[in-house]
Amino acid sequence: MKLWPWPAKTKERRATILAGLILVQALCALFFIGDVIEDLRVDGQLDGPHMVLETVAAVALVGGVIFLMIELRGLLARMSDMQTGLDVAKGHLADVIEGFFDDWSLTSAERDVAIMILKGLDNETIAQLRGTATGTVRAQTTNIYSKSQTDGRAQFISLFVEELLAGNDHLGELPPKVSTDRTTQHP
Amino acid sequence: MTSIAKEKSGRASAREVAVWDPLVRLVHWSLALTILLNGAFVEEESMTHEWIGYVALGLVALRLIWALIGPKHARFSAFPPSPMRAVNHLGAILSGDRKIHLSHNPLGALMVYNIWLSVIGLGVTGYMMTTLTFFGVDWVEEAHEAIFAWLIFSVVLHIAGVAFDSWRSGVNLARSMVTGRKNIPMGSELE
Repeated sequence: MKLWPWPAKTKERRATILAGLILVQALCALFFIGDVIEDLRVDGQLDGPHMVLETVAAVALVGGVIFLMIELRGLLARMSDMQTGLDVAKGHLADVIEGFFDDWSLTSAERDVAIMILKGLDNETIAQLRGTATGTVRAQTTNIYSKSQTDGRAQFISLFVEELLAGNDHLGELPPKVSTDRTTQHP
Repeated sequence: MTSIAKEKSGRASAREVAVWDPLVRLVHWSLALTILLNGAFVEEESMTHEWIGYVALGLVALRLIWALIGPKHARFSAFPPSPMRAVNHLGAILSGDRKIHLSHNPLGALMVYNIWLSVIGLGVTGYMMTTLTFFGVDWVEEAHEAIFAWLIFSVVLHIAGVAFDSWRSGVNLARSMVTGRKNIPMGSELE
């Protein structure tokens, strides 16, 4: 498990950088505010270009910090929305898969094997992972294909891909433009 | 990897929840660093000590603003300072409740406010010592030292609390303050 907090995802990296900028800029703002207050205490007046500049810098920095904070909150909110969407999609796909398995009344061993097929493992690997003979796995996959009325691995997997595409009708058929592009790419 | 059911979204399954945003984490560890530096390494009455103190004050100020405008788990509303809730939480712990709080638990919330107030107190008394009016005034210096002792006691209690709650809930809290995510074990209730 990775403990190092530097995130791999672009959005998370952006959030981390934003947070770092906010921190540094807030400390800069504090420095200028402190300086203005200190000068006020010593001189007791707010004129002269030095003081004006310092005050402007302090105000601009504070405004910048607040602005960055609002940006960061927006970014975090978008990230959390995306995560929720992903979770829902993941959950739904899992529900769909479980639903199919129930319909076909797969045994629990067959369910395990079926999921491994979906994850792209071949019979030998499945046998190794489950600690059974390859022959057993072959028998189980045959059962799975017959229960799901498919003629093999590819058609079995395509059942679920079809389910994923079902909600996006436009993906069902390739638009003519794409197919001409393909033919030009492979003359 | 054997079962998709483990990854299925649902109340009972184990999962990771993003809780602490990067700003909360940065402020937390920076504040810890300033306390460590000023408490153990930097010479008292040096300019560095003063500057680190101001940085600590700034960090707390930044965190307070973030608690007003930041995301859900960072806000005051996620961990209100309520002794009543803390007492209830204590009772729940004693009766073996293993509910997981996504933000701070009610006892932890009190500790958060306690540490922030202590740092502000240290900053204010520390600043007073640099002014002409209060320079060399005994009670200010004594207050500064008393608050420091209290802060160290609080930090020790804080670390003990984190260790205890990590053990109780099965969520590694120290790790979540680094990665920002809480690992929620299977079948736990959330609050």
